Formats: sequence, C-alpha cells, structure tokens
Amino acid sequence: MTYVSRRRVVESDVCIVGSGISAAMVADKLARERSATIVVVEAGDDVPPLDRRPALRQRFLDYDENPWPNDHLEGYEIEGPLQSRSMCVGGLAMHWGGVTPRFSPEDFKLKSLYGVGTDWPISYDDLEPHYVEAERVLGVAGEPGPPALDPRSKPFPMPMLPLTYNLELLKAWVTKAGITMWSQPSAKNSIPYGGRAPCCRNDTCTPICPIGAKYSPDFTWNALRRDKRVDLHTRTIVRRLDVDDRGRIVRAVAVRRGAPNVEVEYRAKVFVVAGGYVWSSHLLLASRSVSLPNGVANSSGLVGKYLCGHRNVQAFVRLPMKLYPGINEQHSLVTKQFMRVPPRADGKYLRHDLRVWESASGQAPRLRDDSGALLLGDEILRDWRKRTEHGVARVRAYYDVIPDRASELTLDDARKNALGDPLPKLAFRDAPESAALKEWSEETIGALLRDMARAGDGAVVRTQSDEFQDHPAGGCRMGNDPGSSVTDSWGRTHDHENLFVVGAPTCVSASCANATLTFCALALRSAVEIARAFPAVRGSVLAPREELLDPD
Amino acid sequence: MYFRREMPTVSRRKFLVWVSGALPIALVARRADAFAAAWIADDAETLRALAEAILPSELGREGAGRVARDFQHWIDNYREHAEIVHGYGTSALRFMRASPRAKWAAQLERLGNGKSEMGNGRPFKSLSLEQRRAIVVSEIKDEKVDRMPDVASASHVALGLLAFFYGSSDAADLAYEAKIGREQCRPLAASPRKPLAIAGARA
Repeated sequence: MTYVSRRRVVESDVCIVGSGISAAMVADKLARERSATIVVVEAGDDVPPLDRRPALRQRFLDYDENPWPNDHLEGYEIEGPLQSRSMCVGGLAMHWGGVTPRFSPEDFKLKSLYGVGTDWPISYDDLEPHYVEAERVLGVAGEPGPPALDPRSKPFPMPMLPLTYNLELLKAWVTKAGITMWSQPSAKNSIPYGGRAPCCRNDTCTPICPIGAKYSPDFTWNALRRDKRVDLHTRTIVRRLDVDDRGRIVRAVAVRRGAPNVEVEYRAKVFVVAGGYVWSSHLLLASRSVSLPNGVANSSGLVGKYLCGHRNVQAFVRLPMKLYPGINEQHSLVTKQFMRVPPRADGKYLRHDLRVWESASGQAPRLRDDSGALLLGDEILRDWRKRTEHGVARVRAYYDVIPDRASELTLDDARKNALGDPLPKLAFRDAPESAALKEWSEETIGALLRDMARAGDGAVVRTQSDEFQDHPAGGCRMGNDPGSSVTDSWGRTHDHENLFVVGAPTCVSASCANATLTFCALALRSAVEIARAFPAVRGSVLAPREELLDPD
Repeated sequence: MYFRREMPTVSRRKFLVWVSGALPIALVARRADAFAAAWIADDAETLRALAEAILPSELGREGAGRVARDFQHWIDNYREHAEIVHGYGTSALRFMRASPRAKWAAQLERLGNGKSEMGNGRPFKSLSLEQRRAIVVSEIKDEKVDRMPDVASASHVALGLLAFFYGSSDAADLAYEAKIGREQCRPLAASPRKPLAIAGARA
C-alpha cells in the first residue's frame, strides 16, 4: 500500500496510456485531423536523441552494450516469455527491425476458410486503406509482390530497398526452386523521407539505426511535442482505470516514478490503452475493484486471453555460389506463396511465410580446424577463406499458431512491483488444432527447405525451430460478440463506451508474418472511430507531413 | 618507464598481495584494474609483438600495430557492469562481466619478461615470430575453445586479441578478399554491385 500525500489532476480530451508505435499512430492522426487535447502517459524514460545514436551504436558494436540505456523499469522481472524488457518513449519499436509485411486476406477468416481459430470481425479489405495510411506514416520502402499474392490498392510511398548482390543471387536460386520472392517491404528510407535520411546500410536496424533512416515512434513524438499537440508525461506509471456508475472510465490513476506519494489523476473524455500485448491487458486486469472484481472491460472474462504469436522453422542452406555477407544483412527476400493457400484436401492447416537472407553462419573464423589442431597467424585466415568459397543462405518460415484460450496473461500475486502492484505472468498455449499439427507442420516446412536446397545443388546444413512465439499479440481480442471478445472491431471495449484498446492486443490471431504494420493499421482504424467524438481541425495547425504527400 | 626498470622489482602479483591485505577488497579491485591499465600500456611493445605473431601476416607490421592499438583502446574503454542489449523472449537483464584487463595484463607481463613456460627469460618482443607463436601455443593449447570467444570472456590475452580482430569488418573483408565494409555507412544504391576485390588479393 502506498501512502498518497498529494494528488495532481491532469485533464484532456484524450488520454493515451503508452507511447509505443500504436500510440504514436493514434496521437498523430488525432492531432492532425481533430481539435482535441491529447495527453500521453508513458512509464519509461525519453530515449537519447538522434545525434547521440552513432556513439551508442558504436558501443553496441564494440561491446554489445544496450544502445538504449535505462529503457526498462527496475524490478519488472516477470514469469513467462516476455518479448522485450523495453519500456521507454517509443516502446519496442525503438529497436524493431523495421520489417513491414501486411497480413494476407486469409488471416482474417481462418474459421470460414480453414475451419480453425476464429474469424476477425473485419476483412482484409476493411483494413486495406489503413495499411496504405500506415505505410505512408511510417515511410515504407517496398516492391509490390504479384497482385495475386500481395494485393494492394496503392503503391508504396518509397521505392524498394534495392536487392543486394547477394540477394540477387539468392533470388535466382529460389526462382529455380519454384518460389516467387521479392524485396521485403521495410520502414526504412530508400530515399529522403519524412525529414529523415536514406538508409546507408549500417545494418544495425535492430537494435539501433544511427541515422534515423528506419522509422521509430520518437520521430512522431518529437514532431507532435514540438508543435505542442500532445503532452507526453514520461516516467509515469498508470496503476488503474476507475469506472463510474454509468460504466464510463472517469480517470486513470498514476504515480510518477520516484514520487510514489504523489498520485496523478488523468481525466479525459476518451481513454486509449496502447500498452502492447502485455501492459494493455495488465492494466485492465489491475483495475479490478469491488464492483469489477475481474478488472475493467472484462465482462467476457477474456482480458488477457488468446495471446497469440507465430513460431518459426529456420535453416541454413549451403549453396555453390560465392556470397559476401555484410552487404546489407538485415534485408531479405520474402514471399506470401505459402500464406495464400487453399484449404488442404486432408484437412490439415498450415500457412507460413518464407524469407531468405544472406548469412555467414558456419563461416565464422575459428581457432581449431576439423582435426582439432590449434590455428594461429595465417592459418586462421587460410581456414576461414576456404570456408567462404561457398555461400550460405538463412531461410526462415514463420508458421501460424492458433491460440488457445489458456494462452494468457494473468496477474502474478507472487511478484509485485515497488508500488505493491502485481506483475503480469505470461503463458502461451496452442489451441488443440495447432498443438496436434506442430510436429507435422515443422516437418513439412523442413521438407520444403530441403527441396529448396536441392534445387540449388546445395544442402541444408542446420535446421532449428523456435518455441518462442514471435510478434506476440492478443489479450484484448476484437469481435462482434461481447461474450467472446473484449473490443469491437474499432478497438472500443464492449463494456466501456469511452475506453479503447489499440494495436497488438486487439488481434484475434497473429498471422505468420511480422505484425507491426498490422498493429499500426489497426491503431489508425481505431483513431478513425475515436476521432468521431471531436470536431475536425479547420486548416491544419501542424507542419505538413511530408510522408502524406501522395507520390502518385 | 626508465625509473621503473631501474628500481628494485616488485612484481604486480606481490604488489596486489600486499595491497589486498591493507585495503578493502572493492578498492583493491579498482586499483588493480587501474594499475593493469597502466601496465598494459607499458607493455605496448609486447602487445604489438603478440599481434605480429598471431594475426595474419597480410596485415604487415603496421597493420598488426594498428590492431594492437585498437585493442588497447577497446580495453581502456571497457565498462564493467554496463547493461548488455537485452534479448527477446525474456525479462532478464544482462550486464557486462568484470574487466579482463587485470588478467590480461598479468599474462602480458609474463610474456614480456620471458617468464612464460617457454620464454626462457627472454623478452617476448626479441623473439622470432615462430618462437613467439610457439610460446602462445604453449600458453593456450589446453584452452577448451574451437570458436572465437567473446572478446571480454577470452581467458588469455592472445585469444582476446584474436577475437577482437577477427570480429572486425576489416577481418571479414580480408577473408572474403573484397571491400564489403560490413556495418559501415555505404550508399544504398551500391548494394546490388559485387563488392570490389581488395587490391593485391589472390588471383
């Protein structure tokens, strides 16, 4: 129990909890299009400015140091597979890879098409305009795939990142294997865009781009703060949401880190929870009270449930071609050929993406040769050179995992933060249909990878599968039925008319591709609905957003 | 340097033993590290001689000397207990280990004054490259390593130096005999081109 000595009240039209990429999308759209005061509350600190990032990157390269110092809260060691400990302005998207594929149309109707999982309450077509908008806000460089595989209504706002010498060779190989691949769309500038420089292949996109060529939410926050369109309160932990007799959220109760005795009460017309797949559900559950013992927005009992993600199978393929790893190692080829598949005759469900990178795996310099003899001087270089005469490709398939209800976030009463609030506990579980197919799915993908290797007269050197479900989402899934979902298709909670959850938590399933662009598109779609409560801006008070200029 | 050589010798180990009995352990560790820094600097010639012996001859004396200086710089700027980039899938944080500087300084000193197993009392830098390599082999032959270790976790200064160099963009260019320039800022438009061959590389 924390003794409260003072209370401070902050009023606004919109209060956004969290400052990650989904929060940035909502704030940016509202600020540009609506006359509304916006307060953003972030538990973490501000991140270092762009001009400090080259030096921070160098420390990362030289020593593996975290280039985002203090990007986490002390005492938040939680049970379960947390995607990242990061908690700072910009959230996890400060160190994302900038990879921005869309989901495919099938992702939104798994039950109807394949008889597994749950259909979303929206279709790909519903989300498509918001994908276009997200690509423009982030600044995505891309090459459209074949329309049958990669449907889109507008071109990418920037030309694709060029394929490297290595990727051109690898593309010829995968083509021979019967697979159509193209340049992975990425939120990295191929030309100057949004006031930011073009990529120059520093190749440390994850964890840090030293020149700002990769989009990260701090750029949006910097612009909005500069124009005084948002108040961003850092180092402030929202502990609970309070609900009035009519079911409206009346306040978010917070404390400043380092001043736990001073309570900050955020009052707003609309509350937007944008804390990602962990902290969104966590806040709703932690807002439990006598009248709402299961937490806020939880009449369905599904807050924290159906956490979703995708596992992967990865192989390193040795190929008879000379490659030069390091030209732009984080860029890849991608295909949706295995995402856009009809139902199988045998009823088994498997959809996966496929990506190909250059790799130096197995080619690292070594200290002993195959006989175990110690190498020194020229011997190490000779041995290394011998092993670089063939090429290595990294090939990875994310495959769709249908989440179980028991794939969940719960409050962990055994682990509490310094305020005495329970921390979250995470457990991912496959739905029975996915669990039953796990081994077969991984074997099937493994066989595909071996076929690919053979087509290039190569061989799979090593295959591995990963239990971690990447790009996690869910916990407040959307739906039309308040009994089986937490929010409607706009992210508005069924239980509280003025409470929205945006981005990752609202996902019904996680597809089999990187999901950040989808989180952004969903958040922008939510912003459309949130905006209805506020008058339109007459004549923009903001500087024009370069990335919104239509390239057509 | 001159006076230190002329003064009656107090070995670093003797000094550490003496000082550890007189001062709190944390202070001893800090002082030991500071002394180690100075001693590695004093042993710059030995470090350079080591680099010439164990790095590829293609670097030449000058190149080996440059790597030795960069390695020295790396050691000098090592920050113990700094937070390491945190991984995915866990909430655990990781931190840099204790500096290897003191350990490596002691090893360099042993090499430098010929007190290693095969040194026969002769300064390391005065030996031929073959003799130096033989000494290094005798020092590390029993190490259970086949891959390059993380630099900071290298159990021997020679392994640290090798890992430092072979982890570099320059070393990769040497191995691939091409100017790849890994992790260096290069024009995006040039990425479809085959990296230029390094002048003088094998035909």
